[in-house]
Amino acid sequence: MSDRRQDKKTTHFGFKEVPVEDKASRVAEVFHSVAGKYDLMNDLMSGGVHRLWKRFTIEVSGVRRGHKVLDIAGGTGDLSYKFSRLVGPDGLVVLADINDSMLKVGRDRLTDRGISGNLVVSQADAQQLPFPDNTFDCITIAFGLRNVTDKDMALRSMLRVLKPGGRLLVLEFSKPRSELLNKAYDTYSFRLLPLMGKLVANDSDSYSYLAESIRMHPDQATLKQMMEDAGFSNCDYHDLTGGIVALHKGTKP
Amino acid sequence: MIDPTLISAATATLEAAIDKALRYDPATRQRLQQLAGKSLAIELTELQLTLGVYFEEQGIALSTHIEEPSTRLKGSLPALLLIARDPGTSLAQAGVEAEGDTSVLLAVRDIGSDLELDWEEALNDWLGDVAGHQLAQVLRGQVNWLRERANSGRRLVGEFLTEELRAVPSPSELQHFSEQVDQLRLASDRLQARFDRLRDLLSNSGSA
Repeated sequence: MSDRRQDKKTTHFGFKEVPVEDKASRVAEVFHSVAGKYDLMNDLMSGGVHRLWKRFTIEVSGVRRGHKVLDIAGGTGDLSYKFSRLVGPDGLVVLADINDSMLKVGRDRLTDRGISGNLVVSQADAQQLPFPDNTFDCITIAFGLRNVTDKDMALRSMLRVLKPGGRLLVLEFSKPRSELLNKAYDTYSFRLLPLMGKLVANDSDSYSYLAESIRMHPDQATLKQMMEDAGFSNCDYHDLTGGIVALHKGTKP
Repeated sequence: MIDPTLISAATATLEAAIDKALRYDPATRQRLQQLAGKSLAIELTELQLTLGVYFEEQGIALSTHIEEPSTRLKGSLPALLLIARDPGTSLAQAGVEAEGDTSVLLAVRDIGSDLELDWEEALNDWLGDVAGHQLAQVLRGQVNWLRERANSGRRLVGEFLTEELRAVPSPSELQHFSEQVDQLRLASDRLQARFDRLRDLLSNSGSA
């Protein structure tokens, strides 16, 4: 299932339809704009809960000493920081992001926190990962998949660079289980979120896009099916905070 | 089923508290380093929850997921707390099952009994400065409020029962009452003695 429409050659950019070739540059503009205040905004928007979602992802990853981990759309390096400590001096963490502004913020932050030696930074497109086949024990993509133009292509690319038995973890906004929570969440994301974006980062458009892109992202069951279609086995997901966020897990056979 | 976010919040808080405690305790840190690479799974049967403890060079990592642990402990929460609190209790006595490397358990029990945890600082760590400070303030306020209520509450309840409700006597009334009971007992003892004496007199005069 792809959000690309072959007849018109357009795709979603939030609630708007844009030419397929324009989506990447438009997403890039959003993240260039928010990079500097990305962490502060995440803290404010989620009340600090995004840290717990990421923590749960790390717990499920099973990453241990000596593993090779790819953190796609790693942004400001929250997951990479933890992974770097877990894999130790014998392991490797690759912090990858398509957006160089986000990557610079992430690289500087990790250097400031004393991470070096087992971490490399790579500007890479999730749809065409520039790594050899069967390289990584674990791949994570946290709050990144919904911004990718062709998600099926990205999932196939991740499968290729994973080692057999390696796992993919997709942490992404999803569909709340209860209708009541869904309504409260809608009010929050379409009214409060852009307002906060305007007050803190002086950029309400970017935060409106973030809210819209969350609604356009496939729900839990659809994403699970997409992972199975891409060739992953043992696919499953955990709903977090009532399904506002879901963590999908799949293994390379 | 508990939302994984809440369980992660609990493990994050506990991990941060242990981390802080270890920072100022180099001796325990050194003892922990000898366990580096080992792991312990704690299965809480009634909660259907498994807590993983990974021993690392730099400290301890807690997790809601654990694969191939060196040691596995299984039991109810009260049973596990009992063996944690009282080192004299055996696993069998408490109803806790253990599998794998039991030397890890002995080391953990020794280390655990020496650690002092600071919960408030731990909250700051995972919630960030803004939310962590706010929550810590609220918690501190609640704890102080409860402590004050516990002290003044005892006095207030006493006053309400004695003065307003008149349900129980005041201490002075109670003392007065017990003095009167004492006097009544003495008087009845004296009456009994007089009665006995009179009875003796009558029986003596009758027989004479």
